[in-house]
Amino acid sequence: MVNPVYDHIIAIIIICTVFISTVIVLPTLGITSVNFKAVDQQQLRNTAINVFNAMLLETGEPVNWGSMRPFYMNDPRVKKFGLASSEDTTFYVLDPDKVQRLVVGNPLNYCDYNRVRELLGLHDYGFHLRIVPPFNVTFLSVSVTGNLLRYNASVFYLDGTPIPNAEAYATVVYTKGNNYFNVSQAGPVYSNSIGVCEGTVTLAISNPDYYTVILKVTVSNVATLVVTSGRNFENKIARINVVYDTIVLTSWKDPPDYNVPPNDNVWILNIVTFSSSGSIWYLFKGDKQGQDNKFNTGDGPFERWSRNFQGLHDFQPVILIFDFWAVDQITGRGRKQVLITTAYPDLLGTNIFEYGDLPKSGSTVVKIQRSVIISGMTYTAELWLWKESP
Amino acid sequence: MRIVEVIIASFIIMFALSFANMLAVTPTSPKYEVTELEKMGYNVLFDLDKRGILANFVYNRQWNDLQAALRVLLPLDVYFNLTVCYLNGTEVNEIPIFYGNRETFTSSKNVASVTYCLCGYFNSTINNADYDPRILILQLVRG
Repeated sequence: MVNPVYDHIIAIIIICTVFISTVIVLPTLGITSVNFKAVDQQQLRNTAINVFNAMLLETGEPVNWGSMRPFYMNDPRVKKFGLASSEDTTFYVLDPDKVQRLVVGNPLNYCDYNRVRELLGLHDYGFHLRIVPPFNVTFLSVSVTGNLLRYNASVFYLDGTPIPNAEAYATVVYTKGNNYFNVSQAGPVYSNSIGVCEGTVTLAISNPDYYTVILKVTVSNVATLVVTSGRNFENKIARINVVYDTIVLTSWKDPPDYNVPPNDNVWILNIVTFSSSGSIWYLFKGDKQGQDNKFNTGDGPFERWSRNFQGLHDFQPVILIFDFWAVDQITGRGRKQVLITTAYPDLLGTNIFEYGDLPKSGSTVVKIQRSVIISGMTYTAELWLWKESP
Repeated sequence: MRIVEVIIASFIIMFALSFANMLAVTPTSPKYEVTELEKMGYNVLFDLDKRGILANFVYNRQWNDLQAALRVLLPLDVYFNLTVCYLNGTEVNEIPIFYGNRETFTSSKNVASVTYCLCGYFNSTINNADYDPRILILQLVRG
């Protein structure tokens, strides 16, 4: 009678030992942990692919959520997140209005990281989204002698090697005195073996007061980048925003202090926009006495001025140039025509757009990339995804 | 006697687990990374073809432009080697259409290969489409 009882006790002990060693001890010893880690990584990769597809291939809900006006901070009307354009059936074409809603600091509000994470159902995961231009263009110099504007720009791959034979078209928007506003174009010129484009544009007048150069650079007929020469003053007149067909000017001051001096009256004299294909559209022309093209920098609602331009969204604007009749931004005295240039969306240009959190050191991160098109220009979108510790 | 049975049963279970572990296709298997690169490569070639640029580069032998196009469309850390062939396998491109470190292609276990076919080219001078197939073999590896 005693023997079978001992037999059973010893058998139970052995089975328990085998079970514990299989389930707990062996994985911690690293015998199967490598595989478990690999399974985790593959699950992470699958999750990343699903998340990236949701971001880039789905329009979200409502389908025009990026173009809603007014748009509230982390707008509760957005039920589902997706950046794809609802008007284009081609894959990986993103809606610039939706991308603009990811730009942190957008004066017309945006969705922050936690809200997007919630919409994507990523409670236990962290992500980081990057949108990288296909190549870089940097202005080396811009100068005007008489009526001749000279520019030098370098074109290079993201790894820093020069791109020869890139095609560049230059457009100069310039003002002089109280009434003169003009646009001149030249090109194409091609980058040399060290990736430098040198060109000249003949202006209709000598020594303009304000000028800005817009350079459209195309590599192998595949990828185009539109960049502008920087300005040498800080814009204090208005922030320029686009929502679908509407241009909205907002105070450069942040709420709630946007209604404070200086109170300067500003008139909008000209508005010009450029598309990624190089087309130019003269959107608006006003005078210095009008009421519908006037606003005050220190008085009135946060949205200073807005106007609908039918077809603006379809035009795919990438650069907007405003010619204001305003206090001289360089000297701070007297009124002048002042040119303000804005890229749309803000991420376009040569900057790398980054959104989201960064992984903690030691976390396993999965990285996937796809080519995307925003406003007719090609970019590389990159998603980093990692699991967050509870 | 039961102790011996249990010990034998335990060994059988442990061996079974070990074998299952050995036979499992783990996600570190190269085919997962390769699949991702293949998708990316096909995506880029299809995009170029859809825009009508790929045929222009290949049939007009604009290899430098083709290389530049692939460099701007593929991510920075993806190296490529493109070979353009006739149907009989003879190489068409006289210069390499290549980016990256050649050693990476030989040393890496995760080399993806995408085969893409172009059936012909529309010749605008004679307003006719020529049936003249080319096979594009794009090898990709992460650097």
